[in-house]
Amino acid sequence: MSASIKKVILLFVVLVQLCLLSACNLTPFQQLSPAQLVQQGNFVKAKQTITNNYSKSGNERLLYHLELASLFHLEKNFAQSNQHLSDALTLIDSFYTQSISQLVMTQFSGPTYATFKGEAYYVPQIHIMKALNFSALAKSQPTKADSYFDAALIEMRQLDVFLAQLKDETGGYNSVQTDDSLTAKINRVLTPVFTPTDLLNNIDYKDDAFAHFLSGVLFEQSAEFDSARLQYQRAMQIYENGFEQQYKLPAEISNKALAGLLRVMQHAGGYETELLALRKKHQDIVQNSNNLANVTVIQNIGIAPQRKQLNLLLKADTQAKALVMTPIVFGNTKERRAQMRWFSMLHADTSLFDMIQNYMLGDIGDVAMGVVTKRIPLGPLWDDAVKLGIIDALEFGSRISVTYLEPIDTPITKSEIWVAGKRHTQLLPYHSISLLTLQDALKKSHNEIQMALVRELSKALSAKKLLKEAGVKQDNLLGRLAKLSTSVVNAVTASADTRQWQTLPSEIRLAQFSLPIGEQQITIKTYLSSGRIIEHSEKLMVNKNMSLWHTHTFVTKNSEQATLTKSTLNME
Amino acid sequence: MKNNRTLIKFVPFAVLATLSLSACKSTKVERIDANQEVALSDKWNGKDSQLVAEAMISDMLSFPWVNDHLKNEGSRPAIIVQTVRNKSHQHIAVDTFLNDLKRAILRSGQADFVANQEIRNEIREERKDQELNASLETQNEMGQEQGADYALSGTINSFVDQQGGKRVTFYQVDLRLIDMTSNREVWNGQKKIQKLQERSGYGF
Repeated sequence: MSASIKKVILLFVVLVQLCLLSACNLTPFQQLSPAQLVQQGNFVKAKQTITNNYSKSGNERLLYHLELASLFHLEKNFAQSNQHLSDALTLIDSFYTQSISQLVMTQFSGPTYATFKGEAYYVPQIHIMKALNFSALAKSQPTKADSYFDAALIEMRQLDVFLAQLKDETGGYNSVQTDDSLTAKINRVLTPVFTPTDLLNNIDYKDDAFAHFLSGVLFEQSAEFDSARLQYQRAMQIYENGFEQQYKLPAEISNKALAGLLRVMQHAGGYETELLALRKKHQDIVQNSNNLANVTVIQNIGIAPQRKQLNLLLKADTQAKALVMTPIVFGNTKERRAQMRWFSMLHADTSLFDMIQNYMLGDIGDVAMGVVTKRIPLGPLWDDAVKLGIIDALEFGSRISVTYLEPIDTPITKSEIWVAGKRHTQLLPYHSISLLTLQDALKKSHNEIQMALVRELSKALSAKKLLKEAGVKQDNLLGRLAKLSTSVVNAVTASADTRQWQTLPSEIRLAQFSLPIGEQQITIKTYLSSGRIIEHSEKLMVNKNMSLWHTHTFVTKNSEQATLTKSTLNME
Repeated sequence: MKNNRTLIKFVPFAVLATLSLSACKSTKVERIDANQEVALSDKWNGKDSQLVAEAMISDMLSFPWVNDHLKNEGSRPAIIVQTVRNKSHQHIAVDTFLNDLKRAILRSGQADFVANQEIRNEIREERKDQELNASLETQNEMGQEQGADYALSGTINSFVDQQGGKRVTFYQVDLRLIDMTSNREVWNGQKKIQKLQERSGYGF
């Protein structure tokens, strides 16, 4: 075969690879996702999109139930929402036992071919939504109110069981983490190779202060003051011991939990000495007048940031005896910038360790290129890689896909509670699902890229062996085309797992304050960075124990013109 | 090296065989006895409800208040089942449990029970309708209801202890019977159930 024909084929191969990389840069939804449709208030189309993209029995069955549950919750169809949430919890419970056959299949195909099992932080959100649904049902059906309130508390007890287990596994927020397990030790050695060391410190999801706080509110509402006391106390300790700092929440939140604790201790009775000591220590905590009752307003804001796909091209550098990963950025300017930032933040050779390594292996150009490449030197393993055929299998490069998270964009500056035309108090951020999602993605990133690397190498190698077994000579035209076709198959199956519960809020704000008993007109004023103010008013019947109002405010990212506020729960 | 090659060749067949086997799994339904316990998890189930109801009512009727009532009043005591609050961590069909309690009381033949408020209101509406529409011979009079002598109420509590794949769930049912004239607690019963669930982290 002449050299010119070889060059033409090579050029063709490179072009096909590039086309494939761009074509595969897809999120699960070709158009708007259900969350984006919900943001625009298009519930019918959002429901259609869910039923069209997810099936009840497929790999995304958990998402089918979660997304539909969110939609029904926003539509105030609380019973149906709870049915889907119960199904979701049953599925999560069944995922405890991992299928070995599916693990093997995932290793040969990709994570998107496996069943989506959700994240640990979904469970508290499911129980919270279920409890709010039961509370709303209690309001709408007064004859069955007691059993619905009991059902809401059952959700809180199940949540407590889950969080106790999570705390046992992670150590919670009681003490400084000292993980001396073998895996942890290995990770400590490997971490500098894949991610900067300080980026992954203290970002584990260890416990949930907001879930404990809301649990306290619901127990207080049902006058179960002892259970409420325990929950407020846990919330206060967790906020104080690191939750506030980890999720960038205001420092006064733990004091708000303390105020709740003091209130229920007073209601329960028998804590006079403790109350006196606590009040002496925290003199700034305002005590309610006896004529006033308590109100909790919860404002969910926006939707959590979307997981997207970042493509990398894996090639072998024969001179430096190293594998080299280069990001192939696609999409609009904002997406391309986010992809590059994610790569340089987590994977690129930007640490001193990596820079020295690049300098030792190659020329000075590699040091400068560090921000756009990831180099994995094989050293003495290079010869083994050649013998195994890895280097030859990577002749046309191989596609590796990992997830990245779009930057968190909150157009809301502050939210306020107004009563009878006067500013009453401010809604403060009590939880940031955005940061939780981001930290979860960061935590998994180095493991994800390692897994993707191993998977794509295995696939490339298997394909090469298959061609050899089939007797295809790899240095002629047919051989190159055959090798190209196997690369195509591998590239198509190499998709990152961008599946997520998209309709979760981005942030949860809360205000707890007191008002006179009786009907009250309450307004939430949400201030946007553009200067626009969204107002949402509700009539609330304030009763003696605790009254609750729950809303979800959506602001579209591109234009702050389109906003939607759904009051999901206004109850006594 | 040769062994490794054989192993590598064998892996795809093993994977295919596993996948084929898992693909053969299909839905199967069979009819079984309603009294037979099918424990798929450590959750409260129908058998728990039935066993607890029978044990507690048997204990309740073995206390001296039944004979005392017969001696003093000359008739079987009438019981009203009030609320049984579910304070456990599981969604328990309390209505089913209450029905099991009622059946156990009626089956004993030692006590009667009267309908709760919701049912009573429905029956009163029916009687009102009879006054207007039923013949005189078949009408049921208002004001002839039997009042309850005792009120039965209680709670279901639970706690969970778990580590790894092992989970112990403990249920405790507390019931009490109150004399409606004197507010005396004539009986207090307790029944405990403990369940151990073990799950494997991996399976086919």
